[in-house]
Amino acid sequence: MAADNIAKAANPQTNSSTVKKPLYEGSTQYKSWRYSPEQLEQVRTSLNTAAVAVIRNTFEADEPGSSEDVLFLNANEEQLLVKLYITKIPQLCGHFRFPEEVEATAISYLKRFYLKNTVMDWHPKNVMLTALFLATKTTNNPISLESYTSNIPKTSSSDVLDLEFLVSQSLNFEFAVWHAHRALWGIWLDLQSLPDVSDELRPQDVYDIAIKHVRASRFTDAELIYTPSQIALASLALASPLLAERWADSKAAAGAAQPLSATLDPTLGSVKYIITQMGHPPDVEAVREVDRRLKLCKNPEKVPGSKAYLARQAAEQRRAEEKRNKKAEDVRKAVTEGGNPFGSELNEDEKAKQLAELDDDDDD
Amino acid sequence: MSNHRANVGGWLKGKTVRKSGLTSNAHTARSSTPQVQSTSSTLFSGGVKDASGRTTEYFSMDDQCPVCKSDRYLNPKLRLLVSSCYHKMCESCIDRLFTLGPAPCPICQKVLRKLAFTPQTFEDLTVEKEIAVRRRIAKEFNKRREDFFDLHSYNDYLEEVEDITFNLINDVDIPQTEARILAHRRENAALIELNFQREEQYAQALKEQEELERQEKEQRALELRREQEIEREERETAQREIIDRLETSTKSAAKVIAKSRAEAMKRSSARSTTTTVLRSNAQLLRARAAQSTVVPDPPHVPLQDDWYAYEDLYTVRDQYDDMYSDAVRKDREGIMRAGGYRVEEAWDRALRCAVAELDLAPLSGLNPSSGRTESVVAST
Repeated sequence: MAADNIAKAANPQTNSSTVKKPLYEGSTQYKSWRYSPEQLEQVRTSLNTAAVAVIRNTFEADEPGSSEDVLFLNANEEQLLVKLYITKIPQLCGHFRFPEEVEATAISYLKRFYLKNTVMDWHPKNVMLTALFLATKTTNNPISLESYTSNIPKTSSSDVLDLEFLVSQSLNFEFAVWHAHRALWGIWLDLQSLPDVSDELRPQDVYDIAIKHVRASRFTDAELIYTPSQIALASLALASPLLAERWADSKAAAGAAQPLSATLDPTLGSVKYIITQMGHPPDVEAVREVDRRLKLCKNPEKVPGSKAYLARQAAEQRRAEEKRNKKAEDVRKAVTEGGNPFGSELNEDEKAKQLAELDDDDDD
Repeated sequence: MSNHRANVGGWLKGKTVRKSGLTSNAHTARSSTPQVQSTSSTLFSGGVKDASGRTTEYFSMDDQCPVCKSDRYLNPKLRLLVSSCYHKMCESCIDRLFTLGPAPCPICQKVLRKLAFTPQTFEDLTVEKEIAVRRRIAKEFNKRREDFFDLHSYNDYLEEVEDITFNLINDVDIPQTEARILAHRRENAALIELNFQREEQYAQALKEQEELERQEKEQRALELRREQEIEREERETAQREIIDRLETSTKSAAKVIAKSRAEAMKRSSARSTTTTVLRSNAQLLRARAAQSTVVPDPPHVPLQDDWYAYEDLYTVRDQYDDMYSDAVRKDREGIMRAGGYRVEEAWDRALRCAVAELDLAPLSGLNPSSGRTESVVAST
């Protein structure tokens, strides 16, 4: 691939024996949170259909026939609701005066959470608060839970804490995020090293416009598809195409087939399109409509106090009880009947069988 | 191994014995029960004299002489001594049996003399025996790590020593073991002597150093006390002066007091600069440890890993026109800077982020390959 030659040519000492891996490719953002647009759509629709099926069953179990009239949300409507709450995060951060990194991280967390869960199970309102709180911790800008909840009206600490583990788990505990605003800062610094770019060519306004585009890109799926450096370069290109081209060309290695700016054109073009077309807050009326419908099709199991919730809790307790009794029974048998409370020596296939039956997950 | 220790009763069989040392004497119900105090000339088993005289004998209320079966109830002055074959007997039995010369031990028939009986230090006689054996062995087998080529031969030597010790303690193959000891002694006579001398010298040096330190400490304590006295006197005179001055002078009371306090401060600061810095105990120990061993210092090899951090795609300059780091850079007092923070590192991170994977093609389609590295393999 022509694109790879840049790295290889720029790194002449890499031979076949010790190929160094690029740093970004070691990050979890590259490894697990990188999708193609088609994949994103597929993930969302499959998540949505699965959730609808489960909730429908719960409704049926509760009251047969009740689920016929319920209009469940589809993937796009879920997306819309999530987008609204994404736009609320910058407002909150401004209120608390959190640095931009907190804001960007929280938005990433919220997006990623809803790639693994559905809106009908967990309403974005509390998830947003939890994601923001988590982001303050993981970016080393922590504040105490009390000062957090006291500054947000109508919030209690349990609203934030109850979902914290769920959010962390959905993120697969991968908390480090590479952001486009930092890349933009880097480009801006690097422009000062370019010999042909004088101070007049890079006024502060250009940077301000570019960072606005970066902030708009946070409302879109750009960070799930493109790398932060690409998003930053695209934002700069929207603000000042000349600067972007000059900088990109300076990064190309000597002997490349075409200047880097040309190679990157398609990628940057798509990013620019995404930012300009989808980078603004959603229509409030539409979201209100979705919210209204959400009240009806929420998963009753997750609403504490409802019949389904209590039934689920009872079922879990029963299962735990059974497990405990079984264990106690086993121990009792081992102690009274055999002489080996810790079990006798296993031969090979017994070992394998026991390993297969081993149930050491912690969620009961 | 458990067979050898089968006759050890005591704590294993649940008969816990209340060990009474010097401190719990006050609590014994029978205050008339005599406690045998050891002096610094008491000869314990193995020919050891405890110089400090603080080792007490082992003592228990249930002591009973195995030979005559008398216990403390009938004979309050009961004192059990241990033979060289590690059997216990009360003093009256020893007198009765051995006064007329060497006689066989009533338990194991080994011929003993009266002198061979010593007081007991430990509850468990096997421990006594082990200690005596180890003391004897340590006198002969005193080679050190430096006397061997490599760790392996040193470990072999140590294993040999432990083997011999075990045999002696548990009465296994005694004649062969003794032969081995003899052989070792003959082979290494010179080295044993040398090491013995060295250990003695070291012990001597240590004692002298401790003496010195003790003296130094005493000196310092004396000086401190003297200084405190001087301070107290000065304070008293200052107070008297204040009162006098208040009586005689016409200035306001507050000013007089302030002046005298300033003088007192000057005096105390002058004094504190002259006192020597006390060397803490920890520092002394460290100094001693540093003298004894020399640790080699190989040159530092920085960590190298195989991550490519895009270093060739950018260079960090010393100065940037950067609004974000203005406040930090202007803050030369260091109020804002945490320890180890360098603004160049923040710039480095930003630049790295800016150039990272600029040319990484985004994924497309429903089942894309995992990106760059795979396609490199495919194209070559």
